[in-house]
Amino acid sequence: MHADAGCAPYRDALDARLDGELPLDEAAGVDAHLATCESCAGEYAMLAATHRRVSAHLPRYAAPDVLSARVRAALSEAARPATASTTLTSVPSEPPRTPAWRASAWWRLAAAGVAIALVSSSVTSVVLERRNASHQASEELLASHIRSLMPGHLTDVVSTNQHAVKPWFDGRVDVSPSVPNLDSIGFPLVGGRMDYVRGRAVPVVVYARRQHLINVYEWAQPARAASPSESTRNGYHLVTWRRDGLEYWAVSDLNTKELDAFVAAFIAAQ
Amino acid sequence: MQQPSERSDVTEGVVDRFERVVLPHLDDAYTLARYLVRDEHDAQDVVQDAALRALRYFEGFSGGDARAWLLAIVRNCALDWRRRYRLDERSVPFDEVVHGPATASRSADAAAIEESEQHRVQRALGTLPLEFREVIVLREVQELRYREISDVLGVPIGTVMSRLARARRQLAALLHPDTREVS
Repeated sequence: MHADAGCAPYRDALDARLDGELPLDEAAGVDAHLATCESCAGEYAMLAATHRRVSAHLPRYAAPDVLSARVRAALSEAARPATASTTLTSVPSEPPRTPAWRASAWWRLAAAGVAIALVSSSVTSVVLERRNASHQASEELLASHIRSLMPGHLTDVVSTNQHAVKPWFDGRVDVSPSVPNLDSIGFPLVGGRMDYVRGRAVPVVVYARRQHLINVYEWAQPARAASPSESTRNGYHLVTWRRDGLEYWAVSDLNTKELDAFVAAFIAAQ
Repeated sequence: MQQPSERSDVTEGVVDRFERVVLPHLDDAYTLARYLVRDEHDAQDVVQDAALRALRYFEGFSGGDARAWLLAIVRNCALDWRRRYRLDERSVPFDEVVHGPATASRSADAAAIEESEQHRVQRALGTLPLEFREVIVLREVQELRYREISDVLGVPIGTVMSRLARARRQLAALLHPDTREVS
């Protein structure tokens, strides 16, 4: 049995009927028609089956925790008073979307980090055995740095405010880490986290430079002070220095010139 | 020392209100972004971009349906993203809809069938033109009313209805090729 011209207005109303969008009287009119027209009833059954099948099999997604954290961090960044606007992330003349796109470059980096970590974890485990003890710290730091680039691993406390990051470490680690404010020279604070390096809990403070991240590790090291020395592994740069009974490591894929500038500023601001 | 800056307009109070009113809809925002740009990391970028854009427009938000308001911004950001990365030039071949799940569905394992069914529906959706795909997501996944869909898309309700009708019939043809009547 085929639809005839009289079916047309009902055909057009089938989706609205299915979605509960018709006024009661119109819905009743459609139902009455469906009871007598096999063709329209078949069409309606097909639509209803499609609706059930599609709505049952298309997932709703939950925003990942790390997305909520990044959004909140970006919002509080946006709310900061204009006196802080000398930072890289807040040049007023740039279009409003810039901070987000800058942050987004980060996600690409994080995604790349997963790929790198997948490849390098098998490599490093082989390589590790051949390293002598003096290299182990840098190997572990590099692994930690790469792991930190994976979504959700970068920060335990997301904050661009040094006065929020520093107290967060209280009671979690035996060192109260340095969290200098380097915003004004273009190294905004991203947050902090705890990590395990060489068998101990170590505070890590995270800074950003464009889409690059810098992880700064520190732990007690009762050896004499040492000025910064640099090494490179798998394309990542590591700078270490010691002062006041503490050993520091900065790890990043940032170019060495800017990483050196960062370290110099970090030391100067301590 | 206050410097004139666009950013200084956004006070912490505004952000607090924004977080209360808008952020509860982050899952919806992320879901829409996932369907429009597909890749999960791209979707996160789009949502973060949308949140910042929404914060800037928040003063102009009249206090109506915050979810539809946010989704409209997410959609615009996703469309910008697609333009920027020329996503529309990459299409999913229909073959994948036909062949992809077919092998899996021969398995007797119920979970595999369920998974392949999900895969099949998602693939079918992926072959629809964007304007059909988004109306399906807004209605079938996010369960918006026609009025809300009209707000998100910025088109009249009549257009929502005709797009939804056509989108459903295309999906039906892809999913039930045997039962689809020849009109």
